[in-house]
Amino acid sequence: MTSEFLLKSLARAGAGNEWTLIAPEILLAGLALLLLVFELALPKAMRRFIPAISIVGQICVLAAALLWALEPKINGSTLTGSIFYGMLKFTPTGQFFRVFFVITSILVHAIAMISLPKQRVPRVEFFHIVLVITAAMMLLAQASHFLMLFVALETITVGFYVLVSYYRASAFSLEAGLKYLVLGSLSSGLLLFGIVLLYGMAGNPAAAGRYPMLDPLSYLQVHHFLANNADNFIGNLGVLLVLSGIAFKIGLVPFQIWIPDVYQGAPTPVTAFLSVGSKVAGFALLFALLPIISPVFRVVVPLLVVVTFATIIFGNLAALTQYNVKRLMGLSGVSHAGFLMMGIVAGIHLKGSSDIPLFIYIIAYTLASFAVFGVMALVAGENDAEQEFSDYHGLAKRNPLLAAVLVVALGSLAGLPPLFGFMGKLLIFIDAFQAGFYWLLAVSILAVVVSIYYYFGWIRAAFFQNWQSSAVPDETPVHPADRIRVPVMMRLLLIVLTLSTLCFGLYQKPVIEFLNLLRIF
Amino acid sequence: MTIGLYHYLVLAVTLFAIGFFGVLLRKNTLIIYMCLELMLVAATLALVAFSRFNGTIEGNVFVFFILTVAAAEVAVGLAIVVALFRRRGTVDVAKLNALKN
Repeated sequence: MTSEFLLKSLARAGAGNEWTLIAPEILLAGLALLLLVFELALPKAMRRFIPAISIVGQICVLAAALLWALEPKINGSTLTGSIFYGMLKFTPTGQFFRVFFVITSILVHAIAMISLPKQRVPRVEFFHIVLVITAAMMLLAQASHFLMLFVALETITVGFYVLVSYYRASAFSLEAGLKYLVLGSLSSGLLLFGIVLLYGMAGNPAAAGRYPMLDPLSYLQVHHFLANNADNFIGNLGVLLVLSGIAFKIGLVPFQIWIPDVYQGAPTPVTAFLSVGSKVAGFALLFALLPIISPVFRVVVPLLVVVTFATIIFGNLAALTQYNVKRLMGLSGVSHAGFLMMGIVAGIHLKGSSDIPLFIYIIAYTLASFAVFGVMALVAGENDAEQEFSDYHGLAKRNPLLAAVLVVALGSLAGLPPLFGFMGKLLIFIDAFQAGFYWLLAVSILAVVVSIYYYFGWIRAAFFQNWQSSAVPDETPVHPADRIRVPVMMRLLLIVLTLSTLCFGLYQKPVIEFLNLLRIF
Repeated sequence: MTIGLYHYLVLAVTLFAIGFFGVLLRKNTLIIYMCLELMLVAATLALVAFSRFNGTIEGNVFVFFILTVAAAEVAVGLAIVVALFRRRGTVDVAKLNALKN
């Protein structure tokens, strides 16, 4: 009886309204629940296939997300405007990020399948939480209402509290979890207060630009309010508070304090997820909000330029002194966020410029980061928080493939010419040049030089240093116990990531055509 | 004297400031936690006041979502604090400094 009713209402929902448009998110949430059921119901021998089931499920979700991204249709006609009473809106950038987050989640799964078996922890819950966070990120990228924004963002944040402290036998992981919890809640509080101020101002019936038909929490009404009252102090304060909440996610100075400690203590797959998923979720939100806050750019943009300066300088200088590879990735990630911000402020200055450089940078950063984190997960020993340069000594001999992947990926992150990361940096630097940010450009080029230094410190450890004591000559054959075994699928994945970093560096047309297909120009 | 929107906002901002500086300055994790909750409560108060004086219902609805999120945050947060206390025997943030270069 109940199931019949459920089926009927599902059929009704599928036939004529908006639920089908968020099918990827619903499928992901269903898959997340299904994993928990499998954990209970499957016989013990079958349980090790659960992560693989999850990956297969996500590939289906990816197909659905791509389908909607290419042509969002409702009732047979192409979708325009917002859905769910203004909660969500399909935009080309939102659709790009939706596809992006599913791919991120699959890659995080792959790294987790290497990393988790090295610890004594329950596994399935990890994948469950990753899926829930991914669904929330996808909704966040499409939100067009501050309520949706807040709930999606908090789902991501609370999920990450659990993930960061997932290795609960390790004091490092727990301490990182506590630090992320305190600072994350602090930034959520700032963001929430900003939303409340905007709501209060935009909902004021006496204010100019109040459309009584519009929900005062929707992006549109807030935009109308700001457009008519660009000098309103409380409105400006609200915008700054919201931006500081986003800056925390992205890791912009002065909201980057948490990054080194949390990145170090978190399990390696979570560090990867934080440095790509969480950071890009912040950027997705920023992309969605920038048109909304465009009336107050007079106040916001100079601040953003200063923050960009500070972020690029801080990220690179702090990374110089690191020997722990996770902290290094965190701090260099701060500088990458700075470069992306430079592209964004340059884009604001050059009105109507192309968004493609930013997306190319994001894709290049993602490909290279996941390759590096994949290598890190394979090289890491039992103590996940202490992965030093010294662990990489002699990697070129212990496993030449991993060493090669590391070189290409780090070279791409540093921005060396034939690689994809170079194109991302070059396009952003050209934009900054055209926008007339000469000082910012000069600092960035210096920062790139510095970053080459610390990335090559890592490569040097992998290639030129003996991992045995210096008394042992270099020519002795590698002891079988020192070799690193790489599962076939992981080897394939690393090769794909590396080859795409190499090929897209030489030939970017497929990436640009894909972006054009998603209506990003 | 009638109590207007202005008074509620001043109270909300004061509560928010107490919470914010409490998080930054206090050393005991549980006190920090209370300060975080205080920040959420301050936002809630401002939300309800705006909702009442602007005659829009959305603020009141938003409060339920904030309450839910706060509950989830506390559930996860206290679990982490308890696990950490078992492991390290302290919840003083000044003594939690295992993570460094």
